[in-house]
Amino acid sequence: MTEFRIDRRTALQVAGAMASTSLVLGTGVRAQVAKQVPFTIVINQSPWFDGFRKTVELYEKETGNKVNLDVNPFAGSLEKQRNSVRAQQGLFDLLIMNGLFYSEFYHGGFLIPIHEIDPSFRLDPAIPTFDDTVYFDAVSKTNSSKTGKLMSVPINPNIPLLYYRADLYQQKGLKVPTTWDELLANAKALHNPPQMYGIVQRGARGPSDVTYDWFPYFNGFGGELFKDEKSGDFTVTLNSPQGKAALDYYIRLAKEAGHPNTGGQAQAQVIQNIVTGKAAHAILVIAAWAQMDDPQKSAVVGKINLALPPSAPGFKSAPTVGHWLAGVPKNVPKDRQQAALAFLNWFQTYKAQVDYTKAGAPPVRLDVMASDMAKEPANRWMTPMQEGLPLGRQMWTIPEGAQIVAITELRLNQAVTGELTPAAALNTMAKEIHEVIQKGGYKTGRLPDLT
Amino acid sequence: MTAIRSHDVPAAGRRSAPALRGRAVDRLWPSLSLAPSVLLFAALTMLPIVNLLAMSVHDVTWQQGTAIWSPVGTRHYAALAGDPLFRAGVGNTVVFATVAVALQMLLGFALALLTSRVFHGRVVYRTIFVLPILVPGIVIGAMWKLMYNFDFGIINQAIGLFGMMPRDFLGDRNLALASVIVVDVWHWTPFCFLLLLAGLESLPQDVFEAARIDGASWWQELRHVTLPLMLPTIAVTLLFRLIVAFKVFDEVFLLTGGGPGTSTEVVSFSIYRRFFTEDRMGYGSAMSVVTLFALALLIVLAQGIARQVRRP
Repeated sequence: MTEFRIDRRTALQVAGAMASTSLVLGTGVRAQVAKQVPFTIVINQSPWFDGFRKTVELYEKETGNKVNLDVNPFAGSLEKQRNSVRAQQGLFDLLIMNGLFYSEFYHGGFLIPIHEIDPSFRLDPAIPTFDDTVYFDAVSKTNSSKTGKLMSVPINPNIPLLYYRADLYQQKGLKVPTTWDELLANAKALHNPPQMYGIVQRGARGPSDVTYDWFPYFNGFGGELFKDEKSGDFTVTLNSPQGKAALDYYIRLAKEAGHPNTGGQAQAQVIQNIVTGKAAHAILVIAAWAQMDDPQKSAVVGKINLALPPSAPGFKSAPTVGHWLAGVPKNVPKDRQQAALAFLNWFQTYKAQVDYTKAGAPPVRLDVMASDMAKEPANRWMTPMQEGLPLGRQMWTIPEGAQIVAITELRLNQAVTGELTPAAALNTMAKEIHEVIQKGGYKTGRLPDLT
Repeated sequence: MTAIRSHDVPAAGRRSAPALRGRAVDRLWPSLSLAPSVLLFAALTMLPIVNLLAMSVHDVTWQQGTAIWSPVGTRHYAALAGDPLFRAGVGNTVVFATVAVALQMLLGFALALLTSRVFHGRVVYRTIFVLPILVPGIVIGAMWKLMYNFDFGIINQAIGLFGMMPRDFLGDRNLALASVIVVDVWHWTPFCFLLLLAGLESLPQDVFEAARIDGASWWQELRHVTLPLMLPTIAVTLLFRLIVAFKVFDEVFLLTGGGPGTSTEVVSFSIYRRFFTEDRMGYGSAMSVVTLFALALLIVLAQGIARQVRRP
């Protein structure tokens, strides 16, 4: 488990500096884009997709360049990307890769380093490198800005935040929770099923449902998946006392103040419950925000507010990074690689990012989040987002992620539905993940089983 | 008795060398003309299986955009028995196929019997009964997922009218598999209905008339005339449905994703997870090979039973 290296102060300083630089140097003006050949982006149907689609349409309108979007479910997008990069010639020119699976494309040698397409390309300094996940050192197999090459450009800075009903908080005189105990107390105070659930958690077994939902709890209780991933120690520490405390709490929250079917709630159901006014809290990705204030989709317009996910006393809030990166495959013609990069170059400009934000997607530029836009009520998510980004935690950075998440999805769901006890679920996960890591040739071990 | 020598045979009956060659070509011609299609068919069906077999004894990884095949012998096959997903998948698939197909056969046969006796508006009835099979799988998944929804589903709203608590049809591990079976029964009963109705309508009517003249009751007619005559059709329908039911994927994928836990995990879905989602091509291939042979065995057994049944 790794943490972003930028702290909050640095992030704000960078944002401020970038905003002024943009004004002084005029980088706020969109990049001039030459005529390019049509190219295809393969992307998943995330809650932020609509904003991305509108921004792509804007790019087409402004530049006259044609972009095809191949839109898929989460798992389908990964499969299409794999098939395309493994073919003699790829079908897709820009891969939108999730923080869970980007590393398999780096490790597999499927992407072309950005500077090999255009040596003059620079990742805008206002865009965070998300713990250097945009870089890859093919020799040491690590994400490092010092020794690695730029492999991708961030497209979406997804982190989960605590969505809560500000109107109900005001009515009941509740304080925004900063600890897990406070969240439980507030959720219980508002729990009145079936009219209102205190909280709705994403406990379903899916491509990455319960795992992504549980990790902010896990890290927020001080748990770590591996002993020291950065330094190459992959000893599995999932079944630590902290892990047990986190899973016990997660289940207790579900039982005492949650949805009666937590084990069947995927992201779509969680969003459905909150926008229909049936949930008082949810820890949800920022990408879902666009629906909260949309009168066509929400019955709680203006009633939801956001805060950082709570944590246990003595630990920092730990929103799990579920960011998306855009990379260009090696196996597509040069002119299409250049067309894809021209789009990325345009996409990272200040103005494109402002339009991206207005279209309903969270921007990747910190200076947009630090701009006056953050003062608008509709953008009340920007301040907690800015605070949360520097605290963001990655679940893992190794290409075995697809196997790990399959294990955690099953076992965590079994714990949530009562099929396994928390200790048994954690021990089983630790054993199975250890086998995967051992097979991958990493330095590893595991803790003794919890009793 | 006069011996007939070859030169005594009339010229027309004698087989000259060119005529023999011509007959040989005639005999071979059907095989020769079919050969390209047969070879193409064999290549298209056998090559993927050969590839699957080869992959199942390897681990496939990717480096610098190139696939690296590392031989692992029978390790993948040995690991199958200890794989919780595969074990759960096999168990659930057997339950799913047995229960779903049994219900579909019963309902399909009952509907076919009823419809075969209806003469007014039979086209309307048949069209209505056949409708579910015409709906695409993705639409069925979306439709039933909405209907089963705990908070907003029409089924829970309906049972709420009778003062009952909402049920978690897809999220409760005791209900989830049964809920998927209900959808499958709804979807595939029309298939059984169509085949069985066609069978019923092709039965010789004189046998039924004779039975009625002999004073056979409705039940006796069904038990001693209809069922024995329908057995070959029933066997074929059962075989078709069993094969498709053992391969179930779309309903599980769309409704439950194999959950909660492993309660609706089925073999096809486990293969999909291991092969595609986890990208374990070697191991996924081993799962596929075992499933393929199990299905082939099932088909051979079912065909044997069907032959026995058809024998007078």
